[in-house]
Amino acid sequence: MKRRLTPILLVVGLALLIVAPLGQTDYIKYILSSWLIFAIAAMGLNLTLGYAGQISLAQASFIGIGAYTTALLTLAGVPWIPSMLAAMAVSFLVGLALGFPALRVQGHFLAFVTLAFNTLFYLVARNEDWLTGGPYGLSGMPRPDFWLFDTNQNLPFYYFTLAVFVVAAALMWGIVRSPWGRAFKGLRENPIRAESLGVDTRRITLLAFAIGSAYGGLAGALISPLVQFINPDSFALVQSIRILLMVVVGGAGFFFGPLFGAAMVILLPEFLRFTEGYYLMIYASAVIVLMVFCPSGLIGAGQALRERFRPGHRVRGDMKQGSQL
Amino acid sequence: MKRQQFLAAAALFATATLGFSGAASAQEVVKIPCVCELSGAGAVSGTNYRDGARMAVDEINAAGGILGRKIVMTDMDTQTDPQTSRALVQKAIDSGAYAIMGTVYSGSTIVNMMVAQRAGIVQMTGSEAPNITERGNPYIFRTSSGAQKGVPALTAYFKDQLKVKKIAVEWVNNDFGKGGHDVFRKEMKRVGIDVVADVPSEQGQADFSADVSKIKNSGAQAVFVYLNEEEDARFLKEAKKQGLKVPLVGEVTLTGQKVIDLAGGAAEGAFAHVGLATSAPIPSIEKFVAKFKKRYGRDTDHNGIKGYIGIYAIKYATEMIGKFDSKALAKKLHGLTLDASKYPGMLLTTSWDQHGELSRESFMTEVKNGKQVVIGTVPAN
Repeated sequence: MKRRLTPILLVVGLALLIVAPLGQTDYIKYILSSWLIFAIAAMGLNLTLGYAGQISLAQASFIGIGAYTTALLTLAGVPWIPSMLAAMAVSFLVGLALGFPALRVQGHFLAFVTLAFNTLFYLVARNEDWLTGGPYGLSGMPRPDFWLFDTNQNLPFYYFTLAVFVVAAALMWGIVRSPWGRAFKGLRENPIRAESLGVDTRRITLLAFAIGSAYGGLAGALISPLVQFINPDSFALVQSIRILLMVVVGGAGFFFGPLFGAAMVILLPEFLRFTEGYYLMIYASAVIVLMVFCPSGLIGAGQALRERFRPGHRVRGDMKQGSQL
Repeated sequence: MKRQQFLAAAALFATATLGFSGAASAQEVVKIPCVCELSGAGAVSGTNYRDGARMAVDEINAAGGILGRKIVMTDMDTQTDPQTSRALVQKAIDSGAYAIMGTVYSGSTIVNMMVAQRAGIVQMTGSEAPNITERGNPYIFRTSSGAQKGVPALTAYFKDQLKVKKIAVEWVNNDFGKGGHDVFRKEMKRVGIDVVADVPSEQGQADFSADVSKIKNSGAQAVFVYLNEEEDARFLKEAKKQGLKVPLVGEVTLTGQKVIDLAGGAAEGAFAHVGLATSAPIPSIEKFVAKFKKRYGRDTDHNGIKGYIGIYAIKYATEMIGKFDSKALAKKLHGLTLDASKYPGMLLTTSWDQHGELSRESFMTEVKNGKQVVIGTVPAN
């Protein structure tokens, strides 16, 4: 039953994403693009945090690394695709380096190490004027142009973002189903046992950070041409916390969690704007209520609801989706 | 089949007329959305800006609107986030804005003004960073002078009145602060005053003890303080605690009502050059401040005046061109001077140059007995 339902849901979901911006205003198209981009970044953090259990408060800095790399290269005349690959490569390598402290510290301490890294990135971006433009940032990044497909308008840019998102999601689907994906979950559930079964936890921890960061870099490579302006404030610690919120609200360790989480964090406040002065209060209350009653996020809530009506069998920890942090 | 066609035609006709009547009712109003900081770090500035603008809108609407059309101003909260502000300016334009009010924070304006520029919509900003009018954007207009005009007005004060040789600068390291800081350094170099301490601080910084002791030890004879309101207050408190006795001189924010309220007695004796002083002994401004207080039950800072005159500038210039055409409005505003005696909504005689930079007389202020007091005027430059 479930096996037949999944592909149908996927096709319906994709169709919805394709028709979503049609007939909408430029503002909605922009917000939708921004949603997909943050969903990519959150997907990366979901791998590090939800699947491999390594907390990171540095995802915004990887978006920043990707965004600055792409901005500098595209402003120098390099086409978007090589710039994007460079952005992902730089983020991957820096993420790998950030993974090393994770080999030694865990939990709250790891959170602080990554928090410090994000602050460090912010200070470098702000103070190294010669490279990053300092507090004034960089502006005027060209939007990618693929011969017949020019993304200067918001609708083509949305489809461009959607295409990148689908490819990134498909790759992630492959990763979490590969032996690496199983190893990530093994690391999360019980690192000692994983190691005793022959998983190289050192390599897997580093990989979890590096791949998650590369996804952050990819999101950055898309933010640069979307906003056409970047400054250090867009990649400050509070943004990392927002991305963490996306992962947790959506459901950490669920494949589609980040997509729903990013929707909750980015789209919900926009839809609540009709309540004017109250919209942030309503939004914040909604998040609190969700977290209190369903700590495993939106998807966790859906699953709990379904199991209530159709009780199933228990799933092994490393096989099931989702994690309680 | 025929019946279906008929139904389809009827449906088409219905939507067409509905669409038409929608367009017709939109003709009777003019939309000037206010995209500003109603939450986050800029909430103080943005809320005053919005409230000032709202007051002007209500006055104009009560008097018959602009060219017979009522103004509709919707609030759009940017959360003091540049990316959100960019989306909202897009939203404002999508909704058919004739002109846009805001944003106040320079970091947001520099991002979202590109969107308004592309659409050819006039934008009245409350921002003061120099780079905003240096980008060749023909649709951006200031409601107060940029730092490149304000800071040089202080140079003469430091050199001739305070006669200092050594000076310190405390600034907030964001695009607003850096803009002012860079102009200040250049000015001090020009007149040969030695900057002995150059202390950057963070937006939202809570502890200024290290900053103040650094300045104290530098032997500076005066301090130029270029921070946002809340940081100003914290700096002033710390300066009093450590007994920093030299004159503290700011630009725009340091003697604002919010700073005085937050800093308690510590703001006493602080100086600032302000483009717009709510305490200026000028009847038009006194009247404005009283009206604001009566309506909202609190004092405003200069941002309230900025929002107010922004709306009036749009009204006067639109009436001069006689139609609602944002491109023609931008053209009209460039090089325009609005005399306050003829155009009372401007409060003070105001002119804009070819870059949207603003010029009008400004004030030197001092905090005395918990109030901002004007101690001198600086002519328009």
